Amino acid sequence: MEITVTESGPVTVVAIRGSVDGLTAGALTESLGTQVRAGRVRIVGDFAEVDYISSAGLRAVLGALKEARQQGGDFRLAAIRPDVQRVLDLSGFTSILKTFADPEGAVGSFGA
Amino acid sequence: MSISPGIAPARRVALVIGSGSVKCAAALGLQRVLRREGIGVDMVVGCSGGSIYAAFLAAGFDTEDAVRLTKELWTREITNQRDTLSLVRALFPRLLGFTEDFGLKRDTLIMRRLRHVFGERRVDGLQTRLYLTATDFHTGEQVVLSDGLLVDGIRASIAIPFIFRPWKIGERLLIDGFMSDPLPVGVAIREGADVIVAMGFESPYQGTVNSPARFSFQLSSIMTNNLLRSRFAFHNLAHHAEVIPVIPQFSQRIRLFDTEKIPMIIEEGERAAEEQLPYLRRLLAAPAGSIA
Repeated sequence: MEITVTESGPVTVVAIRGSVDGLTAGALTESLGTQVRAGRVRIVGDFAEVDYISSAGLRAVLGALKEARQQGGDFRLAAIRPDVQRVLDLSGFTSILKTFADPEGAVGSFGA
Repeated sequence: MSISPGIAPARRVALVIGSGSVKCAAALGLQRVLRREGIGVDMVVGCSGGSIYAAFLAAGFDTEDAVRLTKELWTREITNQRDTLSLVRALFPRLLGFTEDFGLKRDTLIMRRLRHVFGERRVDGLQTRLYLTATDFHTGEQVVLSDGLLVDGIRASIAIPFIFRPWKIGERLLIDGFMSDPLPVGVAIREGADVIVAMGFESPYQGTVNSPARFSFQLSSIMTNNLLRSRFAFHNLAHHAEVIPVIPQFSQRIRLFDTEKIPMIIEEGERAAEEQLPYLRRLLAAPAGSIA
C-alpha cells in the first residue's frame, strides 16, 4: 500500500493505493493519526486506487473517523471502487461516514 | 483435520457459509479454489441452506458428488407436500387449536432425502469440525449445534418459517438459523478462528408483489438483509484478526429450486473466491506479528 498526503487549504487529502488490510492497516492508522495529532482533522481519503479492503482495513478507517470527529473534524471517503463500496455497504460503513464521487467533491463538502 | 490435502496454516482458518438456499452451492466453488491452493480449513460453520454445503465440505464430499446430491435433495417436490392440517389450523386457530408446531409443508420427503444423503453421520464425527446454526423459537437466541445427528442439525437449520415446522432438539424448539444471524461469523470467532472466510448472500427483493406470499417474502428479505449487515458490521469490528467476505454476485435471479443453475452458481463462487485469493495468500504467508 502507498499513501500520498496533499493539502488542499484546511483539508488534507490522503490518497491510498493498493490494499487496505491486516498487513497494511497499521501504516494507514499511523499516517492518519499523524495528521490528526498535527491538528489537521478535516481529512479526505481518496480511495480511487484502493482495490481491496478487509476487516482490519475497516477498523483502521473507523479509528481515523472517530479520532477526527473527536477533534471536531471528519474523515470522508471519495472515489470508492465498486468492490470496495460493496464491502463498505455490507459492513454498514456507508451509513456512518460521508462518501463522494470524487476527491474534489469531498474537499468542497468541508466548506459547505 | 482439514478439508484439503495441503499444509495446514499456522492460523486457524474457518469457512462460514451463510443462508441463501441453492445459492449456497457457490461454496463448492470456494472449496475448489481453497483446495487448489492447498489452503486447509480448520472448521466449517453453516446456516440454513449453507448448513447443507457446510456438511458436504466437512464430511469430505467432493464437488461432483455434492452437485449430484444437491439435485437429488433439493427439488420442487419437497415444498409440494402441503400440510393440510396445519393450513386448516391456521385458518381456524380457535376452533382447531393452533400450535407452534406449524409449517405449511410436510417435511417427510426432505427428511427422507437428508437421511439418504447423510445417514447416521454425526455433526461431531466428520473430517473437519462442523458447527450448524439454528434459532431458538422461544427466545430468539442463536443455537449452535456441534454434536448430535447431522440430519437433525440440518433440519433445524433449514426450518424456514411458515414452510417447515420448527424442529425439536433436546428441550429446544428450533427454527431456521437465518432468523438469528444469516452469516454466523460470530461462531467462528468464538471457536478461535484467526482467519474467517465468510461466504454470504443477500436475500433477493421481489420484482412484483402480487400475492400474500410475495409480500411476506419481501418483508423477510428486508429484515434478513438488514440483520445480515448489522451482524456483519459488528463482527468485522469486534474480531481481532481478519474476516474475508466472499460475496458472489449473480447476474440473474436465482429462485429457491433453480438447481439447474448450480454450475453457474459454483462458477460465480469460484470467481468471488479468486477475487479474495491474493490477500488470503499474503495473509496466510505473513508472520503472525505483522497482522493488524
